[in-house]
Amino acid sequence: MLEILEAILFSTLDAAPALIFAALGGVLSERAGVVNVGVEGQMRAGAFVAAVAALSMPTPLAVVVGMVAGAGLASVHGYLSIRWRSDQVVSGMAINLVALAGGTFLLEALYSPNGTPPIEQLPRWQLPLIDAVPLLRALSDHPGLAYLALVLPFAFHAVLHHTPIGLRLRAVGEKPHAVATLGLSVPALRWGAVLGGGLLAGLGGAVLSTAVLDRFEQHTPAGMGFMALAAMVFGRWTPLGAFGAACFFAFGNALRIGLASSAPGILEVIPQGFLLALPYVLTLLLLTIQGQRSSAPAALGTPYEQEAR
Amino acid sequence: MGERWRGAVPSILSVLLALVACWAAIALTRDMTVASEAYLQMLYGGLGQWPRFLETGDAGVLARPLGEAAGKAALLILTGLSVAVAFKAGLFNIGAQGQMVVGALAGAVVGAQLALPSVVHIPLALLAAALAGAAWALIAAILKLWRGVHEVISTIMLNWVAVSLVDNWLSVGPLRAVATGGHSVSGTAEIEATAHLPRLLGDISRLNLGFPIALAVALLVWMWLTRTRRGFETRAAGLGPDAARSAGIPVKQRAAEAMALSGALAGVAGAVLVLGTEFRYPGMLGAPYGFDGIAIALIGNNNPLGVTATALFFGVLRAGGTRMQLLGVHKSFPELIQGLALLFVAGRLVWLALLKRRKAQAASTEVPRA
Repeated sequence: MLEILEAILFSTLDAAPALIFAALGGVLSERAGVVNVGVEGQMRAGAFVAAVAALSMPTPLAVVVGMVAGAGLASVHGYLSIRWRSDQVVSGMAINLVALAGGTFLLEALYSPNGTPPIEQLPRWQLPLIDAVPLLRALSDHPGLAYLALVLPFAFHAVLHHTPIGLRLRAVGEKPHAVATLGLSVPALRWGAVLGGGLLAGLGGAVLSTAVLDRFEQHTPAGMGFMALAAMVFGRWTPLGAFGAACFFAFGNALRIGLASSAPGILEVIPQGFLLALPYVLTLLLLTIQGQRSSAPAALGTPYEQEAR
Repeated sequence: MGERWRGAVPSILSVLLALVACWAAIALTRDMTVASEAYLQMLYGGLGQWPRFLETGDAGVLARPLGEAAGKAALLILTGLSVAVAFKAGLFNIGAQGQMVVGALAGAVVGAQLALPSVVHIPLALLAAALAGAAWALIAAILKLWRGVHEVISTIMLNWVAVSLVDNWLSVGPLRAVATGGHSVSGTAEIEATAHLPRLLGDISRLNLGFPIALAVALLVWMWLTRTRRGFETRAAGLGPDAARSAGIPVKQRAAEAMALSGALAGVAGAVLVLGTEFRYPGMLGAPYGFDGIAIALIGNNNPLGVTATALFFGVLRAGGTRMQLLGVHKSFPELIQGLALLFVAGRLVWLALLKRRKAQAASTEVPRA
């Protein structure tokens, strides 16, 4: 029993970081008032570029390059939605479509249709002492980024709620005109949030191709960006909430995979489809209960116009 | 140039720019001859091999590609209309994919479980698909109109709920086809022959009834939106809900109707795929036609006729994509063209600003006389 629990905990910690980073990326962008349905596409860009870069440079550096790629795609979204006040959902979906088809095209043109050649994975950290304790052992033997994923939400929360820049970011998503009257630049703050969101989503994608797998596969990230959006909404657009939701969804996934291999009998009673649908159903239920009192930022999705009232 | 056509200019420019950018993408990764050859093959694959037809007189080399293009276009027309109709009522339906999945499943079940004459069977299967899609979309409409849940979020969630439940439970569990003769089959049981959408040109092409159905639906939607009171009220509700409400239009009701119609259209798209080409609900629906609908609707300026024209164009490209394989270009390449075109359309204001600046320059050169 303990071993099963340990295995599930281990695979949760393996799968969660990508989800956590991407969900935080969504939170950052949306708290500043810019809808980010392009998380999936930014993750794909990060995953692809990181895998390609890792072929010719050390993997940790390649992860950084992947992050930049995520931000690069996000900057297209930022240019259209901040500079030109385009519909944010449209430009986000456009990014997703371009990343989906563009990734497939580049993959086929440069390597093979199925994936890039294998790369060296991120090194895994052995935690001394802990790796001898049963159950807690599951915390050891993860890449460094997994530990970052456990710390970053708290840092993000601290910045968002206890620093001037955090206050400004929240304000620009709630009432941008109030921010403008303070002499602050609304576009600059939103640009920062969108690019930061792209870096985080790119990091989430890079984790997939450099730590979870050892290459970029044709379908990466296979809908994980949308699950990150669900985690963001389920976590009520807060870093800690999104973190909790992402961990919960990752745990559910690990449990499902664990059950499929160790106790297929249970899956005869509860079909896998139910478990797969669970994160989305729960998010819908939460939204239904909250109704009008939803915690979405007030100015979310509204392009900022200086002259508008 | 009439006012009506001017709205199409940014879309046409966007599509042209996307075509050029994608050509350059192949030219950069391979070389220019390959890029041009690939585009030529794409046209052959979508519009027919005219040179070979003129040489041999074999109608098959025209009918086969055109049939494929029509099949793809039918799906794009229906999903594009689905997104466009919701847009007209002021709702952004990202859930066409999920609605299409439940519609396809409903069509597959009715097609396989009932034994009826064709004249009844096909309409019944299409109706079931429409109802399933409409019901799935209504969940989002109800959440939006009575609980204030944003439809973009709810339809994204509903997409994944539909995909999870159908692909990972129903089509592999309760509704899975019974394996016959040792080899296991994926997806649901094969539909009865009476539910097949009839082929219009016999064996030389896969052109089926789905294409004329899609065209007729597009015409009906256009008439509904522009020529009926309901359609007018729906558009008014989308353009200015407050003004519409004070004019006595039941805004919520119109929005809910539009969302249901939107879901029904996506559902029918699923049924056309199942009854026309797949003949069962496949293990997975494969290509994300529902997401394509977003691109088609926006490039087509949310106008049913614009949507139809856009869908025909991309139907040709998409059918031609398979022939690009010959040159080692992935068959999903036309989706890249489509995605980039959407991105350029999203920057429509950029186009309009550029056009306006040119006009302003022209005007300013005339002014100095005063």
